[in-house]
Amino acid sequence: MKNKKRYNNGTAYLMLSPVVIMLSIFVVIPLIYAIRISFYDWSFYQDPVFVGFRNFYLVLTDDRFYTSIGVGLKFVLLVVPVQLVLAFLFAHVVRAMGRKASSFVKTSIYIPTIISGIITAIIFQIIYNFDGGVLNAIIGSFGFEKVGWLVEKQIVLFGLAIPAIWLGFGITALIMLAGLLDIPESYYEAASLEGASAIQKMFHITIPLLKNVAVYLLVTGFVGAIQQLELPLFLTNGGPSDATLLPNFYIFEHFRNDLLMGHTIAAALLLFVVLGSISAIIFRVINSEKAIDE
Amino acid sequence: MKKMSAKLLLAAVMGTTLVLSACSGGSGGGGTGGDAASGSESKSDGGAAATNDAPKEKVVVDFWVNQFEESTSAWFKKWVEEFNKTHEHIEVKLTIVPGDAWDQKMKAAQAAGKAPQVYTRDYGKIVPAAMQGQFMPLDEYVDPAIWADLYPNVEQFVLYKDKHYAYPMLVEPSAVLYYRKDLFQAAGLDPANPPKTWDELIDAGKKLTKDGVYGLHIASNAVEFSWTTWGLQMNSGHQAISEDWSKANLDAHYESLIAFYKRLYDEKVAPAQALNGYTDMADFGQGKVAMSVNGSWGIGQLRNDYKDILPNVGVAPMPTPDGDGTKPSATLGGWSFVMDGKAKNPKEAGEFISWFLAGDPEIMVDYFRTSQFSKFPPRKSVDEAINADPQAQSDEVRKMIAEKIVPYSLAEPTYDWAISFAFGSAIERAIQGQSPAEALAQAEKEINEFIAKNDYASKKP
Repeated sequence: MKNKKRYNNGTAYLMLSPVVIMLSIFVVIPLIYAIRISFYDWSFYQDPVFVGFRNFYLVLTDDRFYTSIGVGLKFVLLVVPVQLVLAFLFAHVVRAMGRKASSFVKTSIYIPTIISGIITAIIFQIIYNFDGGVLNAIIGSFGFEKVGWLVEKQIVLFGLAIPAIWLGFGITALIMLAGLLDIPESYYEAASLEGASAIQKMFHITIPLLKNVAVYLLVTGFVGAIQQLELPLFLTNGGPSDATLLPNFYIFEHFRNDLLMGHTIAAALLLFVVLGSISAIIFRVINSEKAIDE
Repeated sequence: MKKMSAKLLLAAVMGTTLVLSACSGGSGGGGTGGDAASGSESKSDGGAAATNDAPKEKVVVDFWVNQFEESTSAWFKKWVEEFNKTHEHIEVKLTIVPGDAWDQKMKAAQAAGKAPQVYTRDYGKIVPAAMQGQFMPLDEYVDPAIWADLYPNVEQFVLYKDKHYAYPMLVEPSAVLYYRKDLFQAAGLDPANPPKTWDELIDAGKKLTKDGVYGLHIASNAVEFSWTTWGLQMNSGHQAISEDWSKANLDAHYESLIAFYKRLYDEKVAPAQALNGYTDMADFGQGKVAMSVNGSWGIGQLRNDYKDILPNVGVAPMPTPDGDGTKPSATLGGWSFVMDGKAKNPKEAGEFISWFLAGDPEIMVDYFRTSQFSKFPPRKSVDEAINADPQAQSDEVRKMIAEKIVPYSLAEPTYDWAISFAFGSAIERAIQGQSPAEALAQAEKEINEFIAKNDYASKKP
């Protein structure tokens, strides 16, 4: 008996080893290395000079760092709730469809997910073009004046949110649908027998049972949206006046322009802390629970 | 049976682990494999350098160039090929990199220790990067005589602590006014008398904005404002920071410059959202704008791609606040070749740079010819050769730019981009609604903070 147990442990370690080795090579070691060089004035050409917490000081006293986190959070608020609600409604529609129709719709809705952010940026560049863009042509036909969609501070973040929602909508809807299909049909039948209305069914059966899926989508949606890089990079370059300065773009801009890499790495590590804590808060506030019937 | 399969599984897992770790070893030292290869390569290099009966293996020099006009790419290809044909022991490998991908591609290559040995760089970035050891001084690897051929003011662009960190390829004024003579006439303006002051420019722009044509193409975002206004910034007689780099030096002139751009957008002289980037003449060439502020390279693009509108194109200096054409309205930007600070074959790279840019003047004359004489040579001998060229002689635009703009243009500032960007952002904020005074005050604060944080006064070269 004892022997068998030890043997099992050995197998478990062996099974784990590929993951552990890969994680160390691609995650743990680079992270430790990044933390180390964040304390140096580090370029690719000169010997690193130890500067203590100076890089962190530079980031933490930079107003644009806070601007970027603020813009990131605003962007998340624009993208994630809309995406979740749309996906929820859409999943309901698909569930009610026939087999053939639903598989066609599922395939179509998934297409944006496999289109790269860069292509999306180009598509929306054409849509938002000032002179001859599709959107301005449409509003022009109603007699409105042309709008600079990507240069007006008040609307530009919405302009970026729409492609972001479009990009993430498919996968969100499919995961939501999988969650919906997991809810046993018998619950609804029982509720109908008791005379529950559709709205009661939604609030007392569907939403509580989708909670785990929703938490997952909330966290991944949050992390995905706040880390958006391609859209600000190709559509607005973070402008106008930093209105679309998302955190990753802020880091990328420093990576691209700075001669020393310390500021970039310190900013990336600080963003990691910010993202990690917010994700932890989401998990904390909305406790994920096991499904009732388990 | 069960045990058997467990063993099999174990073996499989171990196998996978081995393969994985072998892979990772391989990637860490694409390292080891790569080094071995380059080791043999450098050995043969050494052989080539030491003895002449060297093995046939060539020294490879990677060479990256920015993507400019198509004619320029073709010129690069043609002459790199020629160099490879005439130099048995060196092979230059040309890579053309689009401008918007340049910075990230270069950073990635530098981080991986695979930066090209020779590449193109604009003047403004030479000194800051040389300060960080990113470039190798060329003096040791080239014939000192090549420096004497340069115009002294251009030579200054590449000097840091008495060493040359680049060899100049060309100079070009960053801001020139292009306008459509036919549209001027239609709007009741005098085509022979283009706007000279800011007020006249705005006035003309308003009159020209009609029938789906916009008045003016000009810089339209913070990055573009940052560098395209350098000339107009120095129109006041000083840069955005004090001589000793100890503080911001933004006076009333800088505020009026912000107000000028704000007016251009508030009064809808320029389209609210640019039709294309600053350096591109497509909107003007396609007849969507009546005037365009662009670099001298613009005429080259028009001559190559938009021949049909050429007879109606007028060219004039960029308007200034008071119309005084002897004060700067543009900077003399331009491009040079630099050698990477970690270049493995500096001798061969130096040979390539001297042959290409400082050798036979015909190579560079060919370049200026393909760019339709829209740029200017930094070398006296090339200038002489061009002046002898009948096509260049009869080129009125070239003459106007050479006589009325180039002499009054200044060098690009050598201070950090962050400082230029602070002022460029101020213009953008003003267009978004901030008052010019507020925008300027914020830029001043940002610049002073940058100077204090980086102890910038001590870094003035």
